Amino acid sequence: MKYNILSYLIGEGIRNVFKNKKSTLSALTIMCLCMLVFGIFFIIGENVNNIINNVEEAQGIQVYFKVDTTDEDIQKMGEQIKYIEGVNNIQFVSKEEGVKIIKEGLKEADENLYNISPQRIPASYIVTLKDLKSNEKVQQEITDIVGDKLDTITSSNETITTLMNIANGVQIFTFLLLMVLVVISLVIISNTIKLTVHARRKEISIMKYVGATNSFIRWPFIVEGIIIGIISAMIAILIVGLIYNILLQNVLLQNETIKNLEITFVTFSDMFNLMLSVYLGLGIGIGIVGSSISMRKYLEV
Amino acid sequence: MIEFRNVNKIYDTGTKAVNNANFIIDKGEFTFLVGTSGSGKSTLIKLILKEEEPTSGNIIINGKDTTFLKQNRVPYLRRSMGIVFQDFRLLPDKTVYENVAFAMYIVKATPRHIRRQVPMVLSLVGLSGKAKMYPNELSGGEQQRVALARALVNNPSMLIADEPTGNLDPDTAWDIMMLLNEINMRGTTVIVATHAKDIVDKMKKRVIQIDKGDIIRDDKKGGYDSEI
Repeated sequence: MKYNILSYLIGEGIRNVFKNKKSTLSALTIMCLCMLVFGIFFIIGENVNNIINNVEEAQGIQVYFKVDTTDEDIQKMGEQIKYIEGVNNIQFVSKEEGVKIIKEGLKEADENLYNISPQRIPASYIVTLKDLKSNEKVQQEITDIVGDKLDTITSSNETITTLMNIANGVQIFTFLLLMVLVVISLVIISNTIKLTVHARRKEISIMKYVGATNSFIRWPFIVEGIIIGIISAMIAILIVGLIYNILLQNVLLQNETIKNLEITFVTFSDMFNLMLSVYLGLGIGIGIVGSSISMRKYLEV
Repeated sequence: MIEFRNVNKIYDTGTKAVNNANFIIDKGEFTFLVGTSGSGKSTLIKLILKEEEPTSGNIIINGKDTTFLKQNRVPYLRRSMGIVFQDFRLLPDKTVYENVAFAMYIVKATPRHIRRQVPMVLSLVGLSGKAKMYPNELSGGEQQRVALARALVNNPSMLIADEPTGNLDPDTAWDIMMLLNEINMRGTTVIVATHAKDIVDKMKKRVIQIDKGDIIRDDKKGGYDSEI
């Protein structure tokens, strides 16, 4: 019996979708377009994040001391570095640890080929910053403190800061865009459902008089909204995926400049699950909210 | 079955539709509700259906005071009532059978129950052979019979008819009234709001007359006008 009601409600919803082909089609098209636009920025955002993550691993300043520096001196200088304004944390990397890190970077088979002596490896501090913007200033101060004991100092440079700004910008923009597109989709889908509801207001009033509960009346329309949402999501993800893959294979991965920059791209299959859930969530959510909005007026009998 | 206790209804526009209405309709009664257009008949029916809330007073239906009934319980109240309107209100794209079965779907009846009950009710209203026809293929009287079948299919304890014969010629109107009478004989309480003077006079049933919101007469076996 339960099954019967469920199939009735869903069946009615599907029938609604096909009854109003024109308005359904226009709602589908506009929702699809909204989702496409959102998808483009979603992919850009994902890629920028990916690049940032890669670069962030190399974030911070690493100060190498000359091999002949005593442990005491290193410790003293460490204390001073710790109190430089803008420094978040410092981590000591001893000569032995340095060797280990290098070995980890090599493949197992290669390990024996290199006989690395700790004596030849400089000890270092990894200095992380509270804000990458203070990078230059801190570097200068460290150089002053260490003086002639300094072997090398490596650090992330200006590009990181710029990238971070871009990432933030893209994230904020994507979010705002998403809000705007959600509102547009809501208006469109609720208007579409309103047409169906209006066409069936007589039926709804009869249902009310015969004793149908509001949820019983509402469900077919919500199902209609959900179906439109899901179909839009499916079409949009298909188009976005195809275009991105083509772009990736034929342009982005072939371009010499990009190759030289050593930028890695997120493949669509890596993003697929996340995107699918975001799209379906959006489609279903917008479907439910949109149809609920359009129903309210007609349930007051 | 239905009891009105000091019921008043004033619309937001200031119109006084019902003034201090007091009456009891017992189980199994056949009652006419008469009065001119705008007298308050329709408001009385809307109050019974809880489509409108009384401004003051209490309406007790089947022993329950509906004044404090929550909005989400209203559908269950309406399932105890069958309702018929002047304009039939059938779904044009559904067959006679589907129009009736529709009312059963809504109350979540089993398919087996629907298959058994619908033909039974259709034969009760005399439409056995027309199950597969669409409303526009039927005469007005037949359409009202479909509406009656739909109202009765869930076995309501009362049947409320708002001007059921208003769109029908006198002979057909009389047939419908006889059908309502027959339904009443089977134990269903029937309330009919009507303008049809000759029918009310002929049937000699209880008459509640309302004028400008006041109940001015309540005769056990009355006619349309008080003189009869």
